[in-house]
Amino acid sequence: MKEIVCVKLENDMDLILAHKRAMKLCELNGFSLVIQTSVATAVSEIARCAIEFGDDAELVLGVDEAGRKKHLTAIVKDSTDFSLRCKEAVQYAKKLVDNVDIVRVAQQIQIVLKHELNFSHTLTQAKLDSFVDYFKREPPLSAYDEMRRKNLLLQELAEKVQKSELDFRVLTDSLPVMMFSANNRSVIKYANKWMQDFLGKVPKELSIISWTTFIHPEDFTRFSKEFSAALSKQIPLKSEYRFKEKLTNNFLWHLMSLIPLRDATDTLSQWTGCIVDINAQKQIEQTLKDNQVLREAQYRLIERQHELQRTVIELNRTNYELEQFAHLASHDLQEPLRKISFYSDVLKKKYATALDGAGVNTLNNMEKAAARMKELINDLLSYSELQKQNLDLEDVNLKTLINEVVKDLDVSVKEKKASIVIGDLPYVQGNPLKLRQLFINLLSNALKYSKTDIRPIIEIGGSINGNSVSITVKDNGIGFEERYKEKIFGLFERLHTKEQFPGTGIGLSICRRIVELHRGAISAFSVPGEYSVFQVSLPVKQELDFRTR
Amino acid sequence: MTDACKILVVDDDPEDQLILLEYFRDAGTDHLVRFLDNGQKAIDYLHDSNVNISLPKLIVLDLNMPVLNGTQTLLQIRRDVRFKYVPIIVYSTSDNETEKKKCISFGAVDYVVKPSTYEEGQKVVAKFLRFLD
Repeated sequence: MKEIVCVKLENDMDLILAHKRAMKLCELNGFSLVIQTSVATAVSEIARCAIEFGDDAELVLGVDEAGRKKHLTAIVKDSTDFSLRCKEAVQYAKKLVDNVDIVRVAQQIQIVLKHELNFSHTLTQAKLDSFVDYFKREPPLSAYDEMRRKNLLLQELAEKVQKSELDFRVLTDSLPVMMFSANNRSVIKYANKWMQDFLGKVPKELSIISWTTFIHPEDFTRFSKEFSAALSKQIPLKSEYRFKEKLTNNFLWHLMSLIPLRDATDTLSQWTGCIVDINAQKQIEQTLKDNQVLREAQYRLIERQHELQRTVIELNRTNYELEQFAHLASHDLQEPLRKISFYSDVLKKKYATALDGAGVNTLNNMEKAAARMKELINDLLSYSELQKQNLDLEDVNLKTLINEVVKDLDVSVKEKKASIVIGDLPYVQGNPLKLRQLFINLLSNALKYSKTDIRPIIEIGGSINGNSVSITVKDNGIGFEERYKEKIFGLFERLHTKEQFPGTGIGLSICRRIVELHRGAISAFSVPGEYSVFQVSLPVKQELDFRTR
Repeated sequence: MTDACKILVVDDDPEDQLILLEYFRDAGTDHLVRFLDNGQKAIDYLHDSNVNISLPKLIVLDLNMPVLNGTQTLLQIRRDVRFKYVPIIVYSTSDNETEKKKCISFGAVDYVVKPSTYEEGQKVVAKFLRFLD
């Protein structure tokens, strides 16, 4: 059957409506007024019974097609069988329309009234559709009818909304994005499944969400600042934070957007937010950044290398100049000096008779001056030669070396009546000649700066700490003041006059240079009038690149 | 340069020449000594001299000289078969061990450091004069 219009049968008002609709449909189908009234009366009779005895009655008006014939059809349905209580009405109706049937369909009882249509071939499908339209657009027959229609409309809309909401949920739940909405007090009212799963919370818990638990501690201060700014100013928020995934306990980078929604009066009604996983993107970004940093570091390294190269060239040039100086000192300075010594000696020996006592004295002083100059030249020469940095290395037994040094200094040891105490000393890797020079200088100093009133005692000891050897030379001499402990290693630095202690002021500079060439360190400390200690630390093993320096 | 000499001293330093001359004079042997002030002159002198008859009995050779220095002169003289047997003493201010070894390996019979006292000078000249025997 082609359904054209239907009427809910709940009260008397509906009965009037049913009558009027039946009349109208008959009219539309071209029945005469008499038949219109007959059919409408029959329909009303049955409808009345349905309203009275039924439960949820409904009238459906339409056109039924059976073979070549078409019938105007009215069906009154209800879930309660009211047919027994309307026998009279059915009998009456049978007189008014062609056919009345009582049909049971599933749980329903249907009373079907049919009346054959004339000129049924003119009743096309399009025409029937126009009838449906007519009843839709038909102005309300009464205030009741209007209300009724609006109720229907509302119900339809409600169903649509329900469906749309369901669709929305299905959609949002299947997206790999966290979505939520919050009311204007920022309490979460809705969170999609992804968000619940990611954060490991049920919706109820989310309403009292504490962001601290989800956001990375390093991002939290920034988040809380930006979040509260957005809330208080009611402006959108778009920022990146790390959120903790409940399943793995890993923090993953996310882009969070929060948008305030306003109603028609422009007041904030709610917030909607979404949080998108951008961890992969972030990682790529980081890798690119790292690459950039690496490139910059590489560039700086190359720059440094160039700078170093320039320094090395400069140093080599300086070294060359120093070597030239050493050459000059050894030959050109020594040459005239030797002659001064020689001539003064010739004067003294060959022409002794021509000189008086004062003359001999003058010559002696000249010789002393020449000797001092020779010493100075020799020391300078030693110091300059130390600029040549290639040392031949071997394992050196420090104990043997120092015993030899003590033997070399035998004359002044005996002269000063000094006692030398040599403790345990290890092997080191170094240049034996240079190390010998180092300890000759240190021990000569210890002897030289001794006190006149007591016997000098010089103690030499060593110890190994890891890869470093520490050797100390301690005396009981005159010492020096704390403030000079660095100065004494400077070139030409002297703490005493030449009359008190002769010397060139180069000895300790040579010591420092030798220790530095061995990649070690030398330091000194003292209590004036009590003692001095010189401490040399040297690596047990020299590094491989040592020779190529 | 026609007179033959017994000791050829090659040294550019006039003072050192004078010092040696004084000692030779004291020893009465100054007429046997000839002084030249660079290596090239020494080689030219050897070429000019009458081979085998008038070759010097000793060449005293300073190292630090202009034109042709001591070691170059030493090598050139040693390479020439005609002068092969003339003894050469290197006479230098420097007492550098490496230098000494190098000169001996080049064929010098001795390496003598220039004196800085009167007695040293006497010893040095005495050593030179022994080659006249």
